[in-house]
Amino acid sequence: MGFIVIVLIISFLCDSIFSNFLAFSLINPSIFKTICTLVSLVSVYPYFNNNRKYLIIIIIFGLLFDIVYSSTFLFITFIFVIIYFINKVVDLYLPYNMININIISVLSIILYHLISFFILNLVNYNTYSLSILLKCIYTSILGTVLYTTILFFILKFFEKKGVLKKVK
Amino acid sequence: MLKYKKKIEGKYIAIIIFILILVILAIYGKTLKEERKLNFFESIIKDSFVFCEKIVNAPFKFVSNTIDDFRNLKDIQKENDILKENIDKIGAIEAENIELKNQIEALKKELNIDYVLTDYEQINATVVSRNVGYWYNTLTIDKGSKNDIEEGMVVINAIGLIGKVIKVSAYSSEVRLITTSDTNNKISVSISNGQNKINGLINGYNYDSNLLEVEGISNTEEVNVGDTVYTSGLGGVFPSGILIGKVVNITTDEYDLAKIINVEPSVSFNDINYVSILKRKDTE
Repeated sequence: MGFIVIVLIISFLCDSIFSNFLAFSLINPSIFKTICTLVSLVSVYPYFNNNRKYLIIIIIFGLLFDIVYSSTFLFITFIFVIIYFINKVVDLYLPYNMININIISVLSIILYHLISFFILNLVNYNTYSLSILLKCIYTSILGTVLYTTILFFILKFFEKKGVLKKVK
Repeated sequence: MLKYKKKIEGKYIAIIIFILILVILAIYGKTLKEERKLNFFESIIKDSFVFCEKIVNAPFKFVSNTIDDFRNLKDIQKENDILKENIDKIGAIEAENIELKNQIEALKKELNIDYVLTDYEQINATVVSRNVGYWYNTLTIDKGSKNDIEEGMVVINAIGLIGKVIKVSAYSSEVRLITTSDTNNKISVSISNGQNKINGLINGYNYDSNLLEVEGISNTEEVNVGDTVYTSGLGGVFPSGILIGKVVNITTDEYDLAKIINVEPSVSFNDINYVSILKRKDTE
């Protein structure tokens, strides 16, 4: 559990580093952009046998993301929880391997953008067009696949070393 | 009978889900507003993470700055010659500055203007992070209420207007960029070609063309490509005279009555590391 939390915290801080130094914004979306926290939460899911503990982790990191990166209240947490339930269903049909975890990660990023887009448009808060949403989605695919693959190998490496064990 | 019962139960579930969605949207409608103040716990968590982010970002910033320094090295001789030339002019510039200050004071009294850019002092800050969610462009800076930062203060850099402070905690603040398409927060601007001055409003940011859109200018007014756009000071939020950008394209609205002016911002919003917050001198 401790190792997983360290991976999640590093990923959380990576979001800040990447946003600063890859300079991605809505104006100029970098092809390497992704949401590291969300990708890491998806990547560590197979290492949880206890769904309750995983959900608590999702809520904690959702809240942190809300406070630190968005200054919103329960907005990102809500999106993360929805993604968790959808991924739980998808996971039943996709066995754990590198390709499938990449598929779930990309799906999660797409869902994140879609849900935030619809909620923000519904509450009429700083709306942007559908073309911008599509741009956001397709520019985040490469970054997501890269980060998921790197995390997959890191987690596998430490699992073999015996540092990473399944959470019961 | 059982089928009928199930149908009714299904109806209730649908109604409950519908009400839940409405409640969630109502909560978001309220909590997503910029006016929402950070509570005590949010402030503490945010400040702690800003501190961590500063430490984590430090080596990356050092590398990035060193690379920039090396890039600038090739122009250093040229810059040095220009600076040497300017040093000789400093005395004359200082005298001119005093004269201009006196003229500004006299004009302020004559025109009944309360505040101009020279009435503000600048508080420098470092950008710690960008909003990762990025659907509304905000920056987190490392200065907060302990450094006299208040909500609504204007944020600039050496090149022009960046945005305004929307949330403040003890040691950090959040800055909303002018590229955010928020129709509730329009910025009053002046367009000038050196002779004429026309006032308009920034209507929003076009993410496809990466240009600001200025509206509220009659089709009969003369605006040319290359004209300078800066804050007009009307509305009381932004002081007058802050550079925003240059006119790059002029079109008309669908009724051919008003001009739609596209402005290229002077600031590169992808590369903001340091900013200055404007604080009115008389608020101390």
